[in-house]
Amino acid sequence: MAPAAPDADAHQQLIDQLDIHSIHKPFRNHHWKPNQRRNKNIKTILGDAVRKEASLMPTQDNSGAATPNPDESGTSTDGESTPAVSTPGSIQQPNLAQASRNLSKLVLERNMRSNGFSTAPNATYTNIESAPSLAHPKHYCDITGLSAPYTDPKTRLRYHDKEIFGVIRSLGQGVAEQYLEARGAHTILK
Amino acid sequence: MAPSAIDTPMQDAEPENNVPPPQLYPPREAHFEKFIEPRPDGYQKAKSRHGDRAAIVIDNGSSGTRAGWSFEDAPRFNITPIFSKYRDRKLGKTYSFVGNDVLADTTARGHMRNAFEAGSGIVSNWDVMESLLDYVFIKMGLEGSNGGVDVPIVMTEAVANLPYSRKSMTEIIFECYSAPSLAYGIDSLFSYDYNNGKTGLVVSSSHSSTHLIPVLNSKALLTQATRLNWGGSQSAEYLLKLIRLKYPTFPGKLNSSQTEYMIRDHCYLSKDYDQELSTYLDWTGLEDRDHVIQFPYTEEIIVQKSEEELARIAEKRKESGRRLQEQAAKMRLEKLIRKEQELDYYRDLQSKLANESKKEVKRLLDSEDMKDEAALERTIKELDKSIRKARTKDVGGPEVEEEVEEPDFSLLEIPDDQLDEAGIKAKRHQRLMKSNHEARARAKAEKEKEKARVAEEQRLDEEKREKDLEGWLQERRNAREDLIQKMKDRERLKADLGNRKSLASQIRMRSIANLASDNPTKKRRRGNDDDNFGANDDDWGVYRQIATGEGSDDEEEEDLGANLKTLEADLLKYDPEFTDQHTLDAQTDWTKSLVHAFLRGPRPFDPKSQAEAHQLHLNVERIRVPEVIFQPSIAGLDQAGIVEIAADILTHRLNGVASQEAFLKDIFLTGGSSMFQNFDERLRDGLRASLPADLPLVMRRAKDPILDAWKGAAKWAGGSAWKNAAITREEYLEKGSEYMKEHDLGNAYS
Repeated sequence: MAPAAPDADAHQQLIDQLDIHSIHKPFRNHHWKPNQRRNKNIKTILGDAVRKEASLMPTQDNSGAATPNPDESGTSTDGESTPAVSTPGSIQQPNLAQASRNLSKLVLERNMRSNGFSTAPNATYTNIESAPSLAHPKHYCDITGLSAPYTDPKTRLRYHDKEIFGVIRSLGQGVAEQYLEARGAHTILK
Repeated sequence: MAPSAIDTPMQDAEPENNVPPPQLYPPREAHFEKFIEPRPDGYQKAKSRHGDRAAIVIDNGSSGTRAGWSFEDAPRFNITPIFSKYRDRKLGKTYSFVGNDVLADTTARGHMRNAFEAGSGIVSNWDVMESLLDYVFIKMGLEGSNGGVDVPIVMTEAVANLPYSRKSMTEIIFECYSAPSLAYGIDSLFSYDYNNGKTGLVVSSSHSSTHLIPVLNSKALLTQATRLNWGGSQSAEYLLKLIRLKYPTFPGKLNSSQTEYMIRDHCYLSKDYDQELSTYLDWTGLEDRDHVIQFPYTEEIIVQKSEEELARIAEKRKESGRRLQEQAAKMRLEKLIRKEQELDYYRDLQSKLANESKKEVKRLLDSEDMKDEAALERTIKELDKSIRKARTKDVGGPEVEEEVEEPDFSLLEIPDDQLDEAGIKAKRHQRLMKSNHEARARAKAEKEKEKARVAEEQRLDEEKREKDLEGWLQERRNAREDLIQKMKDRERLKADLGNRKSLASQIRMRSIANLASDNPTKKRRRGNDDDNFGANDDDWGVYRQIATGEGSDDEEEEDLGANLKTLEADLLKYDPEFTDQHTLDAQTDWTKSLVHAFLRGPRPFDPKSQAEAHQLHLNVERIRVPEVIFQPSIAGLDQAGIVEIAADILTHRLNGVASQEAFLKDIFLTGGSSMFQNFDERLRDGLRASLPADLPLVMRRAKDPILDAWKGAAKWAGGSAWKNAAITREEYLEKGSEYMKEHDLGNAYS
């Protein structure tokens, strides 16, 4: 699509017309300063989420900041039993320590639920991925894609017939590995 | 290239001129089309509508960003989510391009970046995303008079979008563009809603992934949603990989945009994959199955010389040849004259010597560097002979048979003691001559004998053929088999020698060591000095064996081929059962080759033709690539195929949720990758196999698998559901960037 020399001017004009850098954008907030490191790939995002979650757990439960209270077992925020009914006295005598404890438990439970520990897990990006197939995978020729009754023990390539086998044996160095890679069966050196 | 076999496919491939040329398809790829004008009319209309009935709807997909006004029935534009920014140092100016505008310039192309993470529907480059949104708002004519986008925004996002991703988008929309409200939804659910779906299974196969989402009473059961990491982009990459492997030396440039179009134009889902595959490269119908993509090429210009020019060149060549001949003749003539002069001189000398004294003779001879008169005689004789020869050659007279005069052996009979010194010398000379002469005669006789032997052999052979044709033929057949086997063995040996660890290589190394060593063989150790090496002709084969690489396939190889040719010629002539088809040549002909059919289709391949070198043949790939969604293991994806997922959701995971039948009655296909021919049929047939026979099974496709998501979102925007689902600016400011509202067509909080 690169234009020839006589078209250079026309092309420059077109480029200037298409350019949006020089266009004034009044709808943008000019004080908007995004985080310099906001571009993350999925792996980093998921890794960050896991780390965040891991750091949350001890602070909520095992930090040692709050001593396990013997009558804690009675107080549940599940909503199944109303605290008011089971421990009527607590309303009259608000125990500050217990209240803060209940709050932290609330948060923890909320987090647990969101992290998929509760009975009905939420759909997350990772857990909606389809599981590996249970069906027996059929074998297809790596070169042609036809059915492959044979496997070459040397290259591990599957092949259709002896003619294809001849092709496999005449492949250059590393080509067999590329064929395996297309099928995801290549060796990954770490 | 005339194939010699005579079956049906052969006939239509035989003469090149009566085969119609193959249908050629040009390669297509995404390219810059035209400048999109910013159109403020929509914005003015939106402003004049008051209230909440007008929103900007953006279907933020990985294949394309489709944006438009909610009150219109189609998006204003559909752009690829790519962005390019670079600084032109010469002009001192920074350029930014978005969408297909990037493709207008080569430099811009080089700086292209995608908003989405490759192979997923998750935005990972927010700078690109921001520029995309800038572009959308510019082209939709937003004035930004109050310093922001003053229209509500409705956007689609991936199923189970990552919280970080959603948070970043929300931040940008509210912080950077100051929008009054924002609502998210899932594209495939919008599409389903637009197609009046209430309860059913949504199968959405899009650019980056394939999702299956059961919907019950218009509410998506997201906990049962399943994603298969395969979509149009993965298919394109896969096809690109396959083509690069298929044509490793393809001269044209290939990219995934081209393969994406190839998939769109040429690929289809096979109704019965294994069945169709088994006959895909068969001759019958290969013409229709084999699609040829012709890439642009420049034909090598072979200057066609005119008849006149050719004649002139020939004339020139002849002329120069004649000149050379003339020169040579002249030189020969000069030489001849010189020789004649010499001859005259010597003759003169000889006659003079006749009447001179012995001393004078000696002096004269010495001055001529001659030993005695005999030498002079010899010189004269030689000169005379050469002159005569040259004359006959020049004049073209009859070839004088070089008379082989029996040399004079008279002295040999006389004993030495009767001879003087000169006599003995002459005798020695004569003896030498005699043995020479005899050897020549012997060789001649041997040659004659050999000729006679061959003739006799041939006669016997013919006799045998006449007497016992069957036996004779059998002999030939066996010989032919042996020869072919020998050729094969040689081939294999050559191949094996390439591998250092193979048996052949090891034997070769041992032979070399043996040959190089001074006293290696066992025989010698046993005291037998002679190991008889060479007594058997095959012994020399060891040198053949150890020679590898260049020059190892020497004339003997040729010999095998020639021998085979004569044997086959004999068989062709006398064996009624041995036809042209049975020759080795015919059997290794391209028409028999599966690889040829795979690489070059049903026509002969001319490696010199630039046009054919720039052709891609799509045949098995046409069904192999789309098949991956049903059998992900083909492309090495360790996930269940679409049928398995659907069957699992319908038969196991929805148990107890509602009656299964309700879902089966509406299996809804949407997304660009669902547009393959036979997609619905394959899914139906696959599901049929894993469901009870009496259950209803209804498939339907979206009216427009690509745009219905946008249309659904536009329909939804402005309604009461939207009002409840949208996050207003106030809510954002109060509750933060991670705040979201759940609704029927959107993601759940996670």
